[in-house]
Amino acid sequence: MKLTRFKKSLRNKTLNQGMFIIGMMILWELLARTECFPPLLFPSLSSILINLATEIASGEILGMISFSLYLVGVGLGFAILTAAVIATLAMISQLISDWVQALMAILHPLPGIAVLPIIILWLGTGPQSIIAVIWFSAVWPLIANLHTGLRSVSATQIEVGRNLGLKGITLVRFVLLPGAFPYILTGIRIAWARAWQASVAAEMVFGASGGIGGLGWFIYKKRFFMEIPSVFGGMLVIILLGLLVERFCFEYVEVRTVRRWGMTSE
Amino acid sequence: MKKTIGILCCFLLIAGLSFTLPGTAAPGQEIRIAGQFGLVYAPLMVAKKRGIFEKYGLKPVWKEYGSGGAVREALVAGEVDVGFMGIPPFLIGWDKGCQWKVAMGFVVIPVGLVTYDPAIKSLKDFKPGDKIAVPSPGSVQHILLAMAAEEELGSANALDNNIVAMPHPDAAAALISKKGIKAHFTTPPYLFEELSQPGFHLVIDDLQIFGHPFSFNVGVANQRFHDQKPAAYSSFVNAIGEAMAWINTNKKAAANLLAPEFKLSPEKTLEYLTWEGMNYTTAPYGLMGFAEFMQKSGYIKKVPRSFEEIAYENILAFIGNRAGVPSEIESLQYK
Repeated sequence: MKLTRFKKSLRNKTLNQGMFIIGMMILWELLARTECFPPLLFPSLSSILINLATEIASGEILGMISFSLYLVGVGLGFAILTAAVIATLAMISQLISDWVQALMAILHPLPGIAVLPIIILWLGTGPQSIIAVIWFSAVWPLIANLHTGLRSVSATQIEVGRNLGLKGITLVRFVLLPGAFPYILTGIRIAWARAWQASVAAEMVFGASGGIGGLGWFIYKKRFFMEIPSVFGGMLVIILLGLLVERFCFEYVEVRTVRRWGMTSE
Repeated sequence: MKKTIGILCCFLLIAGLSFTLPGTAAPGQEIRIAGQFGLVYAPLMVAKKRGIFEKYGLKPVWKEYGSGGAVREALVAGEVDVGFMGIPPFLIGWDKGCQWKVAMGFVVIPVGLVTYDPAIKSLKDFKPGDKIAVPSPGSVQHILLAMAAEEELGSANALDNNIVAMPHPDAAAALISKKGIKAHFTTPPYLFEELSQPGFHLVIDDLQIFGHPFSFNVGVANQRFHDQKPAAYSSFVNAIGEAMAWINTNKKAAANLLAPEFKLSPEKTLEYLTWEGMNYTTAPYGLMGFAEFMQKSGYIKKVPRSFEEIAYENILAFIGNRAGVPSEIESLQYK
């Protein structure tokens, strides 16, 4: 019952947002058509879409999308692994927890792209450098959320779990992880966004990392050839990928876990 | 509502007046120049230091940008009136409809592909993982590499996946420490610095690729500036010409003047200024050679039908238009 009502509200929301976006797109096209601004600086939406279609058809951009996704996947994977290990250690020992908090306070405000020059010196210019920047960008929000999440599980819940005979891994699996799940999900969401930003930014600052390069390199290259519609096209692809992952991964998981468990009010 | 409009009008009036007043009252004609730094831009730096622009009645406003790409974008956005760039970036903009033309040649300098790897003797020896640093996609260096790749490997795009875009100082540091990149397509002073390292050698250079010297950079002026301020435009061209002539006739004094700017010794600066192949000249070389290659390889869609489409009248007068067979200066514009 609750789920169907939720689905309905989701549909309304989608419709609403869709209308808004379509309205914006029409406005864009009209504004570009008036040629108030030079077409070179402000291309029409139709020229952007036509350009994008030809680039998709030629296969160029698809290879770059998969390369970007691969880099983000590896970087994010490592970040989740590191964060899990560090958060677990911080749970076990108060001393490590203090250290982690200190480290977080120092390094969390540092944008991943700011450490790029050092990473290039240490690791060279290959994809490994971009993965390292992605890792660095994603790992701090992950640790912060995991750490807070695990700590926020109430002592009562843990005690109840113990009374029911859970301990060790089972206690973690059935009490700690579900209890901390809203935080974990938020952490991964932020980490994904940060990782994506880092991958694009790193490639734009530093050029291709190796082989064909990813979406950041695509935008960078098109900028220098002054193919402004393609620059917009690259941005559009990044937005679409972000939306797809949000709608089909995070919301999917959220609906089936946190919302089903009644842990969020929305 | 009326009141706000009234206030707004007042503001606009004041803003308008403050913009127009200096132009009419002040003695100098304002010109906004994208200032750049380095050996290539020596004439610009000399003109600035010796007050040559002021002598010609110009009031230069300097704007600094981080890269050649940013200079071009500033010109497109109308933030500056004149800037300097390679022929290929200029042509890419022209092809896309930028309202600008070449106002002068700027410098002819040696450009070369340097590597530390003794196994790399020609372009054929680059393996897929070997990175070649160029300043940016579409730069002179990138297009030269594509020309060489077409010649030697059969396709202009053969080395596209080997390219990394890096600013000169970073790439030079990476090459000298042998980290990350295998080769660097570069210009003086980085070219000289890299080649002075033991074991570093040229794979190919500009003369082998292009066949004869070409303008590494040209001065580009916005059409609107050229049309609306013809006096300022010609003053600018002459001022740069005077700065160049001064360098060419006073190399030692120029080295002394520029050494502190480059943070080099006067001896080293003189060595760089007088390196084989360096030539500060407002004569354009190779304008069409790049256009034809770039069009053939798909970097631009059209080729200028005549010099008139890409150059202002001072350049047209300089190149001339010989009846019958093209003159030597005309031929020099082709590859």
